[in-house]
Amino acid sequence: VAKTSLTSPPWPEVKLPDPAEEAKYHAEVVQKVNKMIATGQYGRLFAVVHFASKQWKITSEDLIMMDNVLEAECGDRIRMEKVLLVGADDFTLIGRPLLGKDLVRVEATVIEKTESWPKINMRFWRRHNYQRKKIIVNPQTVLRINTIEIFPCLS
Amino acid sequence: RYVRQLQRLQLLFSPTAADSRGARQFVEEAAVDFARQHPDVVLYVSPRTGPAPVLLAEYLNGTVREELIASKTSEEIKQLATKLAGQSGLDIIRIRKPFHTDNPSVQGQWHPLTNKPSALTVQGPRLQPQ
Repeated sequence: VAKTSLTSPPWPEVKLPDPAEEAKYHAEVVQKVNKMIATGQYGRLFAVVHFASKQWKITSEDLIMMDNVLEAECGDRIRMEKVLLVGADDFTLIGRPLLGKDLVRVEATVIEKTESWPKINMRFWRRHNYQRKKIIVNPQTVLRINTIEIFPCLS
Repeated sequence: RYVRQLQRLQLLFSPTAADSRGARQFVEEAAVDFARQHPDVVLYVSPRTGPAPVLLAEYLNGTVREELIASKTSEEIKQLATKLAGQSGLDIIRIRKPFHTDNPSVQGQWHPLTNKPSALTVQGPRLQPQ
């Protein structure tokens, strides 16, 4: 059959590798990463955490502020679950969608519980003699991420 | 490793005026409990015949905040005091970003040339592979 411009799709054809070979390669990579974690060859760790209906990219010693009230007092240590992604300089561990709790540990401390700046909520219709003014103050919490740790229990 | 940012709380009220009734009740009932619950905050109670009862809060970075407690019940004053104890001395203005990092990038910041093959190996109509 003659080859026209529509015989093969326009994207380049990708040949998938052999599944047995791929499984061996995967096991090798996993062992390597496990060894690296066990010996402690990683520098700074960053993590993507789902917290207060938002996803944050956090490293150690950084500040996060949320627009709600947590039930912890000032100075309490909090352990964050729902970790989606952990990465270091040479490798990343991606969860589907979450990583196991025995793999990662993210600890944070509640530093401050303040209120936001007074926001003005005003409604005004012209020529109708209608205006309402309301000042909204939200309670806020400030957390500081203390540590992110990983343990070598991949499989 | 947590340091409370509130240094001292000064409660200034007058023993006879009518609007510092809540302050007097707070001092009688809840001041001791508050001082026990927050052991690293110093609470000064000083009666004076000033214009209005005031709760002065001083923080570790030097900012001083005054809150009027005229005609407030002792429970409201207690809530105010706990709120001030949880705050730090930064100004309450609009904060642009709800996060702050000292090290924003771990694997190197992205720039448009990451993940692109280098110009030495590209086979184009003009460039020859070296």
